[in-house]
Amino acid sequence: MERFSGHSRIFARARLLAVAVAAGGMMAALPVSAADQVNQERLLNVDKEPGNWLHHHQNYSAHRFSSLKEVNRDNVKNLKVAWTMHLGGIEGGGIWSHGGLEGTPIAENGFLYVTDGWGWVYKIDAHGGRGMLVWKMDPKTDRDWAGAVACCGVDNRGVALWGDLVISHTLDGRLIATNKETGQVAWQRTVADPDKGEVITGAPLIVKNMAITGVAGAEYGIRGWIAATDLTTQKEVWRTHTIPGKGEPGSDTWKDSNNAATAGGGSTWVTGTYDPATDTIIWGTGNPGPDWDNAYRPGDNLYTDSSLALDATTGKIKWHYQHTPNDPYDYDSVAENVLVDIPGPSGPRKLALEADRNGFAYAIDRTTGKFVWGLPFVKKVTWTKGLDAETGKPIEYDPNKPVQTYIASVTPSRTNLETDICPGNMGGKNWPPTAYNPDLKLWYIPVIESCNRIKVEVMTPEKLKPREFWTGGGPSQPFKITGSVTAIDVTTGKIAGKMETPFPNLGGILATPDLVFTGQPSGEVTALDAKSLQKLWEFNTGGGVNAPPMTFTVDGKQYVAILVGLGGASDKWFIDSTPELKKIQPGSMLYVFAL
Amino acid sequence: MMIFNRFPAAAIMLLVSVVALNFSMPATAYGQSAQAPPSDPTNAGKAVFSRANCVGCHKWHGNGGGGYGGDALSLRKTELTRDQIIEAVGFGRACTGMPFFMRGAYDEVKCHGMNRQDAGAQMPPEGGTFLRPKDIEAVADYVIAHIKGAGEPTYAECVAFFASASRVCDVYKTQEQKPEDAVANTGKNQ
Repeated sequence: MERFSGHSRIFARARLLAVAVAAGGMMAALPVSAADQVNQERLLNVDKEPGNWLHHHQNYSAHRFSSLKEVNRDNVKNLKVAWTMHLGGIEGGGIWSHGGLEGTPIAENGFLYVTDGWGWVYKIDAHGGRGMLVWKMDPKTDRDWAGAVACCGVDNRGVALWGDLVISHTLDGRLIATNKETGQVAWQRTVADPDKGEVITGAPLIVKNMAITGVAGAEYGIRGWIAATDLTTQKEVWRTHTIPGKGEPGSDTWKDSNNAATAGGGSTWVTGTYDPATDTIIWGTGNPGPDWDNAYRPGDNLYTDSSLALDATTGKIKWHYQHTPNDPYDYDSVAENVLVDIPGPSGPRKLALEADRNGFAYAIDRTTGKFVWGLPFVKKVTWTKGLDAETGKPIEYDPNKPVQTYIASVTPSRTNLETDICPGNMGGKNWPPTAYNPDLKLWYIPVIESCNRIKVEVMTPEKLKPREFWTGGGPSQPFKITGSVTAIDVTTGKIAGKMETPFPNLGGILATPDLVFTGQPSGEVTALDAKSLQKLWEFNTGGGVNAPPMTFTVDGKQYVAILVGLGGASDKWFIDSTPELKKIQPGSMLYVFAL
Repeated sequence: MMIFNRFPAAAIMLLVSVVALNFSMPATAYGQSAQAPPSDPTNAGKAVFSRANCVGCHKWHGNGGGGYGGDALSLRKTELTRDQIIEAVGFGRACTGMPFFMRGAYDEVKCHGMNRQDAGAQMPPEGGTFLRPKDIEAVADYVIAHIKGAGEPTYAECVAFFASASRVCDVYKTQEQKPEDAVANTGKNQ
């Protein structure tokens, strides 16, 4: 932690503002200083404070939609850099030569909380039209320990706020609570274990005094889980494994004699969502391991590649929906499930939307876990002819077959040891988040248009070693990868628009009433018309955009912020598919725009 | 096929300065600095192994292996001689992801009788940094001395490699093994 002085005047002003807000009736029952305290009431009602961005995904439903409209389609052409700040965290460690920025800033009452790739937390005072560092917290991440088992980059996607604490994760498996005023670490708790190949890259989700943590490591033979830590007692409340234990429901979907389930993957490295009406956490799960040798693990391999609904109080699984049973492609379903209510013939339909690595977008009834609609959002899908209209399963899926082959001529298998597949294992849609405009009922997907070449390695139990890759093969990149922003009309389940881009979308999306903000790994931050997806504004940051934009206000003025610094999986494992990006310099910078 | 990462300019500068320190001044050959006691004549090669990002694919232990990045050769199981390793590092390996690290390879210096045009699609990727001939010899010496033929990685080897407070090596501890024993028993490093 490093403290920076000289901000007492600004703190005083922030408190005055807080008093004014409290006097306005929003939190009249709370003590004056509590306006800066984050509680469940505020997290449930973020629409009452549109100038703040309190959740990783903006709200519990992961809409990443801001109602702010000072910046709009008529004036966005005048958007300019207001200020920037250099961050750190590009250092290498383990198998990585540098880190990158994938985080979403959190904004509260004129202060920003951001992380860099190694999990440093920065508190930045954004008052007065410029950014001043208030403090930074160094988590002293064990870089070689964690970096050697981080499959897909030195990344940290951001913090959450609770009480007077900033809650963050580290790549080496810790949950850290930092005092919001002082930057001092209040406490920390080990949640994941890099000795088992577990690392943490996602931001925590705060639900009712608990921090919910997801884990990465399905390429290293982990058995995935979602864990809840009580932020008062600092003790674990529940931990639900995404791969059932012996005898538990779903364990019969692991039919091998290799004991594959114990290293079966199912990671949970993207922050999930929460439906307070039913006290349900909805969270995506990753691929089964080994990724490409699905004959090693016959059966559907529950609950990999699934959307999981958990009772938030107990962690008990309420329902699951699996997208790619017995996955031979590394098609994670780890993406956020966006919670959307739309009018239906018999009352509102409560949906969970997920854009999958397998190239299909899904709407699931989030009350029952049943399929509602699905459609391909990429231009090229070669692994299946499509989804069954009733079940949403791939048409070729045969529940009686222990090992699925889908369209066998292109599917990696023990008899098809080298094959080209679309989408490639980047997706589809990867971790970069979607956004949803509730007025237009449009859902915007940051698309990766990819194919790649898979070489299968036949696995045996002796090849499973702690902290070593457990992938059953690997991809190479003979094909160019591009991207798009694709809008889906949620009322019809049809594509409403597509804006193609020369490079894959590695950053994600922000929606405002009439705009969509996004970026490109070649450096551009762009604003599109929310309906036509026509480009209205662009600024080249000179770095690679690998993080989602967000927006907030300070003293009534609207700002758009985005972290810029290319890292992650694409920059290492997939760079041959976008050779033009080899010249992009690693970097670590916060850009803030305003009119 | 592997993909190799680029290096931040700062890392390259650092590499150049380390290399300059180690090789251009005979009085301090093999990195005889305050930071690196001259206990092992292959320490310079070890530094190259890290800085040139050999660890990015072959890992610290040299076993390489399959995964997201493809299938890096196991330097533990390799039968390559010192000269063959020097050639592979300098020229890369055609049709694989093993990059070439010699400045001017396939340009001023023909590799296997080929320049860029001759190599065409077989051209290996360019390393994230270039190494001087002495760096390449040093890293080959390090691989021969510490990695080739070494069997499965051990805790002692790991501690010798990282020599830091990282927990990266804990996974290699055997049940009866304690850290202080391991430091004394540096195995092949003797």
